[in-house]
Amino acid sequence: MRFAFILKIATLILLRSWRTTAVLSFMVITAVAALVFLSALAVGTNDAMIRNSTGLFSGHISGSGISEDEAARLQVAGVEQVLLRRQQPVILSSSSSLEAVSLLGIDPLQEQTATAFWKKTVQGRYPATGSQEIYLSQESAKRLKLQVGDNVTLRTHQSVALKQLTVSGIYKTGISQLDQGLAFCPATALPPGGQELSVALFLSAEAPIDEVLSTLRTRLPTASFTPWMEFMPDLKQLIDLDYICMAIVIVLVFAIVSVGISCTFLIFTLKNLREHGIMKAMGFMAGDTALLLVSQVSLLTVFAATVGTLLGMLTVAIFAQVGIDIGAFTSHNQYFSVSGMLYPRLTRLALFTPPLVAMVFGLAAAIWPIVTIIRKNPADILRSV
Amino acid sequence: MITISSLSKQFVSGRGHVAALSDISFSVEHGRGVILAGRSGSGKTTLLNCIGTLETPDSGSIICNGTDICGLNARQRALFRRREVSFVFQSGNLLPWLTVAENLQLPLELNAITGADQLYRIEELLDTFGLAGYEKAMPAELSGGEAQRIAFARAIAHTPSILLADEPTASLDSDNGRQLIELMFSLCHTKGMCLLIATHDQELLGMAETVIALKDGKLLPPAPAPIG
Repeated sequence: MRFAFILKIATLILLRSWRTTAVLSFMVITAVAALVFLSALAVGTNDAMIRNSTGLFSGHISGSGISEDEAARLQVAGVEQVLLRRQQPVILSSSSSLEAVSLLGIDPLQEQTATAFWKKTVQGRYPATGSQEIYLSQESAKRLKLQVGDNVTLRTHQSVALKQLTVSGIYKTGISQLDQGLAFCPATALPPGGQELSVALFLSAEAPIDEVLSTLRTRLPTASFTPWMEFMPDLKQLIDLDYICMAIVIVLVFAIVSVGISCTFLIFTLKNLREHGIMKAMGFMAGDTALLLVSQVSLLTVFAATVGTLLGMLTVAIFAQVGIDIGAFTSHNQYFSVSGMLYPRLTRLALFTPPLVAMVFGLAAAIWPIVTIIRKNPADILRSV
Repeated sequence: MITISSLSKQFVSGRGHVAALSDISFSVEHGRGVILAGRSGSGKTTLLNCIGTLETPDSGSIICNGTDICGLNARQRALFRRREVSFVFQSGNLLPWLTVAENLQLPLELNAITGADQLYRIEELLDTFGLAGYEKAMPAELSGGEAQRIAFARAIAHTPSILLADEPTASLDSDNGRQLIELMFSLCHTKGMCLLIATHDQELLGMAETVIALKDGKLLPPAPAPIG
């Protein structure tokens, strides 16, 4: 029998048994839409963690071994901003204490544009461009017994040269690597000599980090570049874990939905058992019956998965505009140190995995009814119904 | 031609082994109509199912057009049903999701009769059965008589060599039932089909050229010819 005719019968069965079709479709539409949204939310959550973690200070890629002249060559496709930082180990001293820190000479204006570090100020303000000011962590300020407006004396390891800076502000990030042993000042305020240049590169949202890294390594072969995944392996693992959890959720949801579909489809098929018996009596072979049932499930799943995907996309589009504020649950979480706003984002994987899984599980759900019908003798069907 | 020899079939049920058919032998020639008469449970349906390859007999043979259909495998049986044999059941054998025309299209598609030939055949069948204009009607919109006529039209659409009808008039009033049986016999002669109708309706027995009576799965001897 022609496949086109079997497809036609399958379509007619679905259209003319519209109540059953609607119930089955509703199940799949709901599941696909929910999973498209959940997948996009998982991507959005991971985006937020990366954005918060890299946007606070480090950037997506950190580089070292770069000279001042080479800095202009860091502007490659995908790089939104390049921050140059000069690092110098110094000893800070106040009237009562000493503290060894790594002093970072920065361009305050550029830093405030690219990072959210200034938002972590608990007292005072971020240092002004060209000033002789220093920005201390709360822990350093406490140890040195300093307040905003106090003066602190700098001593470098190479010399006994002394320099005085005024405390412009005190910060607290809650991240130990940033709250201990670091201090900031305008690059112009650094004591002369012994400075090491480092760069922080901030990428655009969609920029492929591997490609950017590859380009940078080709352009500056002597420099060293480290992506955030390497200097924040904990975050990388957390994101991987998040995706694994989401994959498990998708499979579990569809396993449950497919059992539902299978049961409903079996009831639907058994309701039409006599008709299947008649078709077998007319010469339908096992393959024809299987093709008819598979066509029904495929048509239904393709339709429902398409509608579900569109519905999921619409939901994602709405929440991507307004965002989801989970700040109340993340105030003490270092991965959400800047903002607790989530913006669901669709990736190809997030968009296509739920409908594909729906198709696979939908077809799996058809196996039971197919086997049930094929194994039954038409005479038994016609006798029993 | 159908030749049945020593056909037997048993069922296993809660009552133990039940002999549905015991040592049945007879033959039907093309263009002949036979009525299988007998009470409910006499084995009429089982006999039709065996001839139609819906069931496999335990012993004996059924030779249809030179082939012993008892030795066919599942695929061959399905092909045999598709090409050579058609059923008309008691009632409700139209597929409810298909229109009248689509129901008629089904056996034609199964037998690769497509395109203009298919359309012509459907039109011809509807005219023959007085149901022109019913193409787009759904089975639920038809009366019992109309539905049975469409079922009969569908059964002969691809011109099978054997037509098996199991209580085809059971859901019809006597007039509609008589008309349907007359139509069946008439078309059976015209098309040269072997027609077997199972019924327990005594009124229909007089319409048949041959009546084969069954009781408890056995053939009853033919009634003696009237004297004089």
